[in-house]
Amino acid sequence: MAKSAKKSVPARKALRKPASAAKVAKVPEVHDTPSAVVGAQPHKNLRERGTPLIEMRDISIAFGGIKAVDHATVDLYPGEVVGLLGHNGAGKSTLIKVLSGAYKRDAGQIFINGDEVNIDNPRDAKALGIETIYQTLALADNVDAAANLYLGRELKTSFGTLDDVAMEAECRKVMHRLNPNFRRFKEPVSKLSGGQRQSVAIARAIHFNARILIMDEPTAALGPAETAQVGELIKQLKAEGIGIFLISHDLHDVFDLADRVAVMKNGKVVGTAHTSDVSHDDVLGMIIAGKCPPGAIPGPGAMRDAA
Amino acid sequence: MSDPNTSSLNPATASESAVTRFFRATEIDTRMLGMVAAIIVVWCVFDIWTSFRINDEGLFGGLFLTPRNLWTLLVQTSPIAIMATGMVLIIIMRQIDLSVGAMLTLIATVAAVLQVQHLAPALGVGHWSIWIIAVLAAIAVGVLVGALNGYLTAYLAIPSFVVTLGGLIAYSKGVAFYISEGVTIAPLDSTFKLLGGNVPSAWMGPQWSWGIALVACVLIVLGIMRGRQERKRVKFALRPLWAEAVLVGLGFIAVLGATYVVNSYPWPPKLIEQYALANNVTIPPGVEDKAGKAVCMAADKVVRCTDGLIYYTGYAIPVLITLAVGLAMTFLATRTQFGRYVYAIGGNPEAAELAGINTKAMTVKVFALMGLLAAISAMVASARLDAATVSLGDLNELYVIAAAVIGGTSLAGGIGTIYGAMLGALLMQSISSGMLLLNLPSPWQNIVVGSFLVIAVFVDQIYRRRVK
Amino acid sequence: MKRTLMTMMAGALMLGVSAVAANAGTVAVSWKTFQEERWKTDEAAIKEVVEAAGHTYVSTDAQGSAQKQAADIEGLIAQKPDVILVVAFDSDAILPSIQKITDAGIKSIAYDVQFEDPNALYITFDNVGVGRLMAKTMLEKGKTEGNFAFIKGDKGDPNATFLFQGIMEVLKENIDAGKIKNVCETFTDGWKPDNAQKNMEQCLTSQNNKIDAVVSENDGMAGGVVAALEAQGLAGSVPVTGQDGDKAALNRVAKGTQLVSVWKDSRVLGKKAAEAAVAMIGGTAMDKLEGVAKFNGGKKGVEMNSILIPPNPITKANLGDVISAGWISKEEACAGAQADVEACK
Repeated sequence: MAKSAKKSVPARKALRKPASAAKVAKVPEVHDTPSAVVGAQPHKNLRERGTPLIEMRDISIAFGGIKAVDHATVDLYPGEVVGLLGHNGAGKSTLIKVLSGAYKRDAGQIFINGDEVNIDNPRDAKALGIETIYQTLALADNVDAAANLYLGRELKTSFGTLDDVAMEAECRKVMHRLNPNFRRFKEPVSKLSGGQRQSVAIARAIHFNARILIMDEPTAALGPAETAQVGELIKQLKAEGIGIFLISHDLHDVFDLADRVAVMKNGKVVGTAHTSDVSHDDVLGMIIAGKCPPGAIPGPGAMRDAA
Repeated sequence: MSDPNTSSLNPATASESAVTRFFRATEIDTRMLGMVAAIIVVWCVFDIWTSFRINDEGLFGGLFLTPRNLWTLLVQTSPIAIMATGMVLIIIMRQIDLSVGAMLTLIATVAAVLQVQHLAPALGVGHWSIWIIAVLAAIAVGVLVGALNGYLTAYLAIPSFVVTLGGLIAYSKGVAFYISEGVTIAPLDSTFKLLGGNVPSAWMGPQWSWGIALVACVLIVLGIMRGRQERKRVKFALRPLWAEAVLVGLGFIAVLGATYVVNSYPWPPKLIEQYALANNVTIPPGVEDKAGKAVCMAADKVVRCTDGLIYYTGYAIPVLITLAVGLAMTFLATRTQFGRYVYAIGGNPEAAELAGINTKAMTVKVFALMGLLAAISAMVASARLDAATVSLGDLNELYVIAAAVIGGTSLAGGIGTIYGAMLGALLMQSISSGMLLLNLPSPWQNIVVGSFLVIAVFVDQIYRRRVK
Repeated sequence: MKRTLMTMMAGALMLGVSAVAANAGTVAVSWKTFQEERWKTDEAAIKEVVEAAGHTYVSTDAQGSAQKQAADIEGLIAQKPDVILVVAFDSDAILPSIQKITDAGIKSIAYDVQFEDPNALYITFDNVGVGRLMAKTMLEKGKTEGNFAFIKGDKGDPNATFLFQGIMEVLKENIDAGKIKNVCETFTDGWKPDNAQKNMEQCLTSQNNKIDAVVSENDGMAGGVVAALEAQGLAGSVPVTGQDGDKAALNRVAKGTQLVSVWKDSRVLGKKAAEAAVAMIGGTAMDKLEGVAKFNGGKKGVEMNSILIPPNPITKANLGDVISAGWISKEEACAGAQADVEACK
C-alpha cells in the first residue's frame, strides 16, 4: 500500500529529485533488507556495507563561545535508523539542525554517498533529499494541511497560480495513507489535534521522496496509539531504504526502532553502538556518565578510563 | 480502503440547520457578511437620521443613500482603501508600517514637484508625457522607499515598528519638506488630475460603466465555471448547483447594483452648463422643478431630469483604480505562491524559514509592495486635491491600520483578508462622512470614530471565540 | 566648553565692531529655529534696516531648544548689544533670560511670539484682526448674504477659535439680521487640505450645492474647498477666503477661484521691528515709538508696549503687492489668470 501511494505521488514539477526516487527504490535490494534488521542480527562490520548514505565528519558549531557541538562524527546507512541520544543540551538537536540547514556549521564536512555537499540553509538540505520533522512541528498554524504539505514547493497551474485543488487532492491521498481518519482538510492546522498535526508534519517530510529523514522527538506530543502508528511508519520508511536519524528521550522507543545509537554529551559523541550489542543500562551510562561500554565504539566524548 | 476524495463537502448531517447548510455549501465568509451588514446598518441609520433634518431622495428620505453621497463616499474611501490592502499583508507577516502616511506625502511631493517645477517648464504646460513620467517616478520612489523599510527590517534586523516610526518622522516633515520647502505644490498636470476623479473627464459615463460591469459579470461566471472544472479534474465533490447560482446571483447583485448607483448620479448642473457652453450643446427648455430637488440643467433653471439636458457620471477613475487594486491584491494574496508565503510566515516564521522560504527577501518584497500602494494612493490623493502639501498623508497610517484591523486583520499576524480591510476603510469613511452630513459637532465625530474602532474589534473577537 | 568658545568668538566679534564705529550700536536676534523658511525672510529685512542705520547685526539659532536659547541669550548679553530681539521657543521658559537682559540694561523685543514681560516690546501681526479682515473682505468684495460655510482649522489649535471669533464679530450683524445663514461649520483635523475637501464635499451634499460663500481659515484648506467646489462646477462662482499668502492661493486669487488671501508680510514685520530697535538705540523711549499701544491680551494679562501690524488682504485688486514685494513671481501668480486682474497684464 505504501509503495503504491508513493508511486502515485505526482511526477511533475514538485518532484525536485526524480533521480533520488529511483535510488531510494533500489536501495533495499542492494543492501540486506533493513526491515528484517529490527531487533534481529546486528551488523558487526558496518564499514563493509559500503559508503554511508550520509556522513557528518568532525562537525563543530559554537554559540557565543559555547561549543554546542564539538568535533562530532556520525553516519547513517540507507534503510537504517540511528537513534541520537543525550541529555537536553547535549548537542543532538543542534547537530541535526546543521544537517537540516537551520544552522550553519563552523567546521566539519558533510558527505552524501561519499560526495561532499554544502548545506547552508534549509533549501539546500531539501534539495539533497534531507527532510526534517521538528520537535516543534514547524507548521504554519494559520493555513490548512495541503498548504503546509506543499509549503515552499507549491504546485502551480499553467498560469503560474497556486493549484490548490491539485494540492488538496494530493494531500488527501498522502494523509489517507498516514491517518485514514483525517477529514479536516479545509481548516487551519491550528484547529487539529496533536496527532493530526504530527501526521501533517510527517506527511510533509516523506511526500517529497526524502532519502534522509530527521525526526526530532516525533512522538513527544502523541498518545500511545498515535505513537505506535509513528513506529509503524518508521518501519515502513526503513523498508523503503530511507535513512532515519531519530532523536528521542524514550529509550524504549529507541531500542524498538533504531539499529544503532549514537550518544552525545556536552557536544561530543560519547560513542556509537548497535542496539543489539548494548543494554538499556549501558546506554544510560553513556548518557549520564559518558561511560562507553565494551559493545560500543568510543567517540571523543567518552571518559578516558572507561574506554 | 475508502476513497479519500469523497470527504469534501460531505453530505450534511440531519442535525445541521438550513442556514448552516447554506453557508457550508456556498462557502461564504460569514465574517464578511457581518461587515457588509454593519455597513448597511450604518448607511440606513445615517439616511434615516439625515431625513429628520433635510428631506431628500435617499431610501428613507434622507441624504445618505443617494447616488451622489454614495458616489462621493467611494471616491473619499479610495486612498485609504488602496493602502489598507497592503497593510493587511504587512500585518499578516507580523510587521507594521507606520510610515505609509509619510511615504504618501513624500511620493506626492516628488511627483508634484517633478511635474510642476521641472517637467512643465521643460516640456511645456500640459505636455502629454508629463503625467506618465510623474506616475513612473511616483511608483519608483514608492517601491524604493518601501524596499528600504523592508531591507532595514529584514537584513539589519531592526524591528519594523522602529524602522517605520523613523520613516514616519523623516519622510514627510523631513525629506518631503526639504524637497518642497514646505510650500503647497499646485496646480498639477491636467491629465494627472484625472487620477483624482474630481473633474468630468475622469468619470467613465454610463456606457463604459455598464461595459465594465458586464465584463465583471462574465468574469464571475467564468471564475465559478473554472472552479467547477478544477474540482472535476481531481474528482472532488462539486458544490450543489443552487449554491453556485446563489454565488453568481450575489456577485451580479453587487456589481450591477453598484453600477446602477454610480450611473444614477447626474453631473452637477453647473458642470452641465459649462460643458454645454464649451461644446455648443443647446440646453433644451425644461420645466422648472419648484421644489428645486432635481439637478438637471435647462437654460439656467434647475428642472426635472426628464425635461433637461443630463449626463451621468458613472464610475470615477480613482474608484476603478481602487477596485483594480483590490482585485489584484486579492489574487496575489490567495492565488499565488507569494501570498501563500506571506500567510505562512505570519502563521509561523520559523516554520516558513525551515520550509525553505526566504523570509528576508519576502519581507523586502512585501514592504516594497506597500510602497507601491502608497504611491498609487499618493497619486489619487494629490490628484484629487489638485495639490501636494506636507500634511497630505498625516495620520493616514492610523486610518490604514484601523481599516485593516476593523476588517478582521489580527495584529498577532497570520490572519486577515484584503476585502475585509477595504470594507473596513469603507465603514470608517461612511461614519465620518455621515457625521459631516449631519453637521454634528466635531468633537463628537472623533469620539464616535474612536469608539467604533474599539467596538468593532471587540465584536470581532466575540465572533471569533464563538466560531471556535 | 562650547559656551566658552562661543563667548570668546562673540568677544572677538565685539572687538571688531567697536573698532569700526565707536558710536554705532548692535542689534542682536535670538531665533528659535532656522528650520523654517520664513525666518530667513525676516532676517533679511531686519539686517537691511539695521545695517543701513550703521549698526551691527548679530544672531543665534536656538535650533528648537529652550535650553539652547537660554544659553544663546547669555552669550548675546556678553556681547553687550543695545537691543535683543527674541523669537521665543517657549514663551514661559524664556522669562528668566529676559530678566537677565533687563538686568544687563539691554532693551528686549518679543518678536512675533509673545512672552509676558512688562519691560519688553511686543511686535507682531494683529492675529485677531486676520479673522476680521477675512470676513470684512468677504462682505466688501464677496457676498453679504446667503448660505455661508465655515471651514475652521484644527480644534486643538487656539488660533482656529481666535480666527473664528474675529470672523463672527464682523458677520454677526448680517447673521442676526437673517441675511447670512451658517449652514455648515466644521473644524478640520490638522488644518489638512484633504480633510477640508471632504468637509466641503459633505457640506455641498447636505445643502444640495446651495452654498453662497465659504470662509476658510487658511489658504491650504481653501485649496481643498476649491477642489470640492470644482467637482460641482462651482469654483469661481462661490467666493472663498484664506490666509498665509500661499503661492498656490495667490494663483487661485488671480484665477478667480479664491476671493482673498490675508497676507502677513514677514518683511514688514522685520522692517518695523528693526526700525523700532534702531529708534531705541537712538534714544526713543519704548512707549514713544511710532504705532505703539498697550496690549494685555496674553495668557496672564500682563500689560506690555506693543506694535500690532495689520496684515494685508490680497485680492485680485492688489495682487501686485505680493509681486512687487518679490514674495511671488509674476509667472507663478498669474498662470491662468482671469482677464480683469490688473497685476497680471
